[in-house]
Amino acid sequence: MSPVRNAIEFSLNHPRSVLVAVAVLFIGFGSQVPRIVIDTDPENMLPADQGARLLHDAVKRDFTLYDMLVVGVVNEDDPNGVFTPEVLSRIHELTARILQLDGVVRQEVLSLSTVDNIEQGGAGVVRFNWLMREPPSTRDEALAVRDAAERLPAVRGTLMSEDGRAAAIYVPIERKDFSRRIAGEIEEIVAGFDGTEQYHVTGLPVAEDTFGAEMFKQMGIAAPAAGLIIFLLMWFFFRSLILVTAPMIVAGVTVVFTMGLLIGSGFTVHIMSSMIPIFLMPIAVVDSVHILSEFADRYPSIRDRRETIRKVMDELYTPMLYTSLTSAAGFVSLAVAPIPPVRVFGVFVAIGIALAFLLTITFVPAYVVTLSEESLAKLRGSDTAATEGRLLARLLGRLGPWTVSASTGIVAVTVAVGAVSVFGISRIQVNDNPVRWFRPDHKIRIADRVLNEHFAGTYNAFLVLRAGDQGGDLDAVLADVRTQLEAAVEADGPDIVAGWADVIASVPVDRPDRVEGLIDEALRRLDAADDEAAVLWDDVVLRLEDAQIAAKVFQTPETLEYIAGLQDALDRSGLVGKSTALTDIVKTVHRELREGNPEYFTIPASSSAVAQTLLSYQSSHRPDDLWHFVTPDYRAANVWLQLKSGDNQDMVRVTETVATYVASHPPPDGVTVEWAGLTYLNVVWQQNMVSGMLRALLGGFVIVFVMMLVLFRSVSFAALAMLPLSVTIAFIYGVIGLIGKDYDMPVAVLSALTLGLSVDFAIHFLQRARTIQRETLDWSATVDRLFSEPARAISRNAIVIALGFLPLLASPLVPYNTVGFFLAAIMATSGVVTLVLLPSVITLVHRRLFASTG
Amino acid sequence: MKRKIAWIAGLIVGLAALHTAAAGQDAPDVNEIVERANLAAYYARADGRAGVRMTITDAGGRNRTRRFTILRRDVVDGGDQDYAVLFSRPAELRNTVFLVKKHVGEDDDRWLYLPSLDLVKRIAAGDRRTSFVGSHILYEDVSGRGLEEDGHELLEITDTHYIVQNTPLDPGAQEFSSWKAWIDKTTFLPTLMEYVDDTGEVYRRIEALEVQEIDGTPTVTRMRASDLRSGGFTVIEFTSVEYDLDIPASLFTERTLRSPSRRWFSVR
Repeated sequence: MSPVRNAIEFSLNHPRSVLVAVAVLFIGFGSQVPRIVIDTDPENMLPADQGARLLHDAVKRDFTLYDMLVVGVVNEDDPNGVFTPEVLSRIHELTARILQLDGVVRQEVLSLSTVDNIEQGGAGVVRFNWLMREPPSTRDEALAVRDAAERLPAVRGTLMSEDGRAAAIYVPIERKDFSRRIAGEIEEIVAGFDGTEQYHVTGLPVAEDTFGAEMFKQMGIAAPAAGLIIFLLMWFFFRSLILVTAPMIVAGVTVVFTMGLLIGSGFTVHIMSSMIPIFLMPIAVVDSVHILSEFADRYPSIRDRRETIRKVMDELYTPMLYTSLTSAAGFVSLAVAPIPPVRVFGVFVAIGIALAFLLTITFVPAYVVTLSEESLAKLRGSDTAATEGRLLARLLGRLGPWTVSASTGIVAVTVAVGAVSVFGISRIQVNDNPVRWFRPDHKIRIADRVLNEHFAGTYNAFLVLRAGDQGGDLDAVLADVRTQLEAAVEADGPDIVAGWADVIASVPVDRPDRVEGLIDEALRRLDAADDEAAVLWDDVVLRLEDAQIAAKVFQTPETLEYIAGLQDALDRSGLVGKSTALTDIVKTVHRELREGNPEYFTIPASSSAVAQTLLSYQSSHRPDDLWHFVTPDYRAANVWLQLKSGDNQDMVRVTETVATYVASHPPPDGVTVEWAGLTYLNVVWQQNMVSGMLRALLGGFVIVFVMMLVLFRSVSFAALAMLPLSVTIAFIYGVIGLIGKDYDMPVAVLSALTLGLSVDFAIHFLQRARTIQRETLDWSATVDRLFSEPARAISRNAIVIALGFLPLLASPLVPYNTVGFFLAAIMATSGVVTLVLLPSVITLVHRRLFASTG
Repeated sequence: MKRKIAWIAGLIVGLAALHTAAAGQDAPDVNEIVERANLAAYYARADGRAGVRMTITDAGGRNRTRRFTILRRDVVDGGDQDYAVLFSRPAELRNTVFLVKKHVGEDDDRWLYLPSLDLVKRIAAGDRRTSFVGSHILYEDVSGRGLEEDGHELLEITDTHYIVQNTPLDPGAQEFSSWKAWIDKTTFLPTLMEYVDDTGEVYRRIEALEVQEIDGTPTVTRMRASDLRSGGFTVIEFTSVEYDLDIPASLFTERTLRSPSRRWFSVR
């Protein structure tokens, strides 16, 4: 207590120094705020070195995949949909102009006018040509484009809807944070079109980038709005601008300091940290409200500013310290979450709470001391028990005795509510989807809905199959060749065995195309050899070539049939809009090579037949499209899944379906299966979030309980202090489960906050209950006094904080709404539970409770 | 109005002056340059054979190699030609054959023989700007672009090169807006070609990396085609180049695709 007393004394004696220090703090850290870097990339919900993220990046590299925007064109005004000369010519023009946009990966843009068609060109002739090099000029030509597109599995359902009413353009972008700009530029282009068809731009990257921009706006609106509401409420409660200014300054400095520190330390502002000001604002004002409230009550009788402050601080220091500590503990517990942005959020809110506490015990006394006598004289006239106070006082005055008389019933109801809540919790649906972070009427949600009605899906996931280790196999072949040579040459030609050893030694083991190198070297020996040796070397080369072909696992018919089977299983599951793989390319080209006969929509019978089919495919305008589906060494293959929903639950079902299939149909050749794609990554970080939040919650619970033990030095009191927050958490999450609200990112984070915030009321209530009980020694008399001033302070604080979060409800971003609504609900619930449940329980146990602890 | 006419007139006079200046520089005619370049690059001697090692490198630095033998026979010097390509590696493409009968001023005839599918297919392609066997080389780079398809302009004469700007007469028929060729003044071989897209950016480049004299004929023996957008490129090495072998015309027919003559296709 003595360092704190020193701090308070210092502030009372050198108020100007304190005010100057606070101003310096404000300006110094405030100057860092303009350096803000916004980051809304959900990938960053995982640490950069997290396994699933590394795999995702590797898959993007291996298959040259880019993040993509999807532009949808829908025409409901013509029976032929988008396949009219007018609409197709606008699609053609739009594509041409998209190709010119900065940041677009030009060579990878997929549109009806940038892909190839393969079809029959008469007897024995196969025709490779652009699907729509020039826009058609007649309706028949437009329908011909449709008919051709329908025959191409890679196009149908992806670039054109099955009903022909919609077409899509896939726009790969160099960097995700270009997506909002590029989406805007595309919207500008289509704004100049005069057709009746509708254009939509969607895709996860746009949703994510747009969210960032909106978030930035919200920070400028929601936090000041929360500040204004708190200011007005306090003014209403205390009727003194002078009084209310101090907490507002504490809140303002706390917010600016914390954000300045966060930004200045080089952290990016993620979705969670953008809410820091809104969280800190109400928390920061609470303690100063307590101080000023007490000060206003006592000053008239003491009539000495310094002496009054000292008395007030003596009284409030302990509860203020503990409420700050517990709130901070709730947030700090987030530091164990495996989600970096949540960690940053938790730690910086905790720092903000600590600063708010320091400001409360230094700045507030200094502020009061510098107030003029006139303003303090006016203070005397301001009655804190104004009209609302009388109403509140009457309500609370009746509530107290009722909690005593109805105690058994209240406890019974609480137990019942608890049981229902546990049932509700058991029904919680863990789910999230960044597109749903926008309200249903947002253009991104509308685009998402419309395009997923027409197409196979705008959400991408990549199912990657990789061949098993090849090194072992090759070494076995090399050893085998040696044995064979040794047997063949007998005594007179030892030369070739040594030559073979030289060949092996001349090619580094880690060379990616080691077999190719070995073949080159063997061919060189073959050329130099005499007839007898040449026959042997020829054999060697053939063996190596066989090994080389066998190593190209995803060129073999067996493996391709396996992928086709997996695709069938996914199709049957109904969970996937469409899957596209190497199999589809091979089958399509094979069919067209066989006169377009649908019976040949099959995988050819040998590796070399597959290779020759693909060679034909590669003689096109877009040969590199092949490498999105297989790596050039044919050691890994990629199945592109299009999902109609980005809900994590749906993605999880897809992964489960694949896992079941792979378990019952073991892949050939030690092939393994892995996942990538943004839709999948969202699942990974959410699973981390759920388990991480549970850990944070349990950890926070233990910390707060230990703090309560230290504060009250009584297990019973500590247990009582934990009661309101436990009931509140159970109730809130029970409600979430019962109403079917998804357990998403903001909901997960709320659990830890509830812990820190809802214990505050219990601390104040129990601390005062124990003090008063010591004086009255009569529980019902204690209740009467508890339900005057202390209960009023608790109610006011609950109201101020709950209403302070309400501006979040006006935000167009759903996570902000969720946080606003549930924080208000949490404050209200924990206030009510503290004032109703705690006195009821104490009524039932007060003899033993107060007897044992005095 | 008057002023505008005067301005346009001034521009015309200025341009005319420029034109005369360029013409007066005793520069060779641009059409003669491109014709000689066409002959040097695509019509060397009467016929030829080479072993080819093609290394395709993608943006990620991954390599694939293909080996084949290419035969060429000029039907008319500077006019129609026959090409035949027989794959030897990778093993799964062995004995695959491409046959191209190039026609000046009209569509080429192309055939493909796929031995493992036992199929001979005639290939109809809308244009020549499709990939040659999945590499960064296009059919047009192998057999040459028709001189009549572009307008030619001599941009600059350096110590070693004529720099010729070529602008397609039918702007919609290909994916580039123009291309520039650096033509060696002595050999008339194009040693650098750059293709410009509709944003004015050079997106594709073909370079001669090595020129050798084979039987007195300057020949590009190593070249590289680069896709500057993706960063991928293809290097082609010609080994054992031979000219004037009297390759029979009968070799370049659909009938012989299934049984390519070992004699003509084997290189030293």
